[in-house]
Amino acid sequence: MEILKRNDVTVITMDDRFDDAVARTLKGMVQNMSEQTTIKLVIDLSKTNFIDSTANGALVSSWRSVKKNNGDMKIAGPSSHLKSLFRLTRLNTVVEIFDDVEAALKSFSN
Amino acid sequence: MTQSMENELTVRIEAPAETIMVTPLDLFVRDLIQQFPAFSKSEGLVDMLELAFHEAFTNIGNHAYRSELKGRVTVQIRVSLQQLEFRFEDNGESFDPEKVPTPNFEGPCEEGLGIWLIRQIMDKYLYHSENGSKNVLRLIKDIPGSIPDGILSRDHGTK
Repeated sequence: MEILKRNDVTVITMDDRFDDAVARTLKGMVQNMSEQTTIKLVIDLSKTNFIDSTANGALVSSWRSVKKNNGDMKIAGPSSHLKSLFRLTRLNTVVEIFDDVEAALKSFSN
Repeated sequence: MTQSMENELTVRIEAPAETIMVTPLDLFVRDLIQQFPAFSKSEGLVDMLELAFHEAFTNIGNHAYRSELKGRVTVQIRVSLQQLEFRFEDNGESFDPEKVPTPNFEGPCEEGLGIWLIRQIMDKYLYHSENGSKNVLRLIKDIPGSIPDGILSRDHGTK
């Protein structure tokens, strides 16, 4: 995964496959970050073609960690398949999903 | 090993039920299924079938064989004119899928979605254990539309 800072927003771009091992890494990293400070986070899934149930769970867990410390997390760039998966798992009911990173970043300014 | 009879294709693979096998098998299954227009023409179907396969295989590695044990799983992929079937056989611990709790969607779930997702994707989830030593899981998806004659009767190489 790739981590960038865009102004005060942290953008984490996930790789092609987002499954168990990657999920644990993301979850731990976001938990550490959010315990240290209030964070604004965008999870960029524009390069991701596969997500499993543990990855979906890691996204939920990360969102909870961030919100618990008064931050916010958004998802950007999922494919139509991933959008379908997020509707199925109800992730879309709690995490805002944007078509791309720019739209997600803009939403933090609004 | 593959078997190609008229109107049906069967591929059978035996592999360690370990994390290292998950991605290669996922990709193999995906590439196999994508060759059949009955699946590839339905947007998102191949993705979902790959996910169902992945969840089932991962569950065997994580639950049937605990982390301290090494076990093997036999995977069979069968494509016919009417159905796609994933069949998994393992010799690990058996379980009762009816006792797996349904996720509580009052809020988003962090855990326990694997079997539920499989059931959303596949048309049938059939599990049985033979004498407590051989567990068989069959996941069946009815094929949308029909497969043209001849697609499944090509020579698929070494048995």
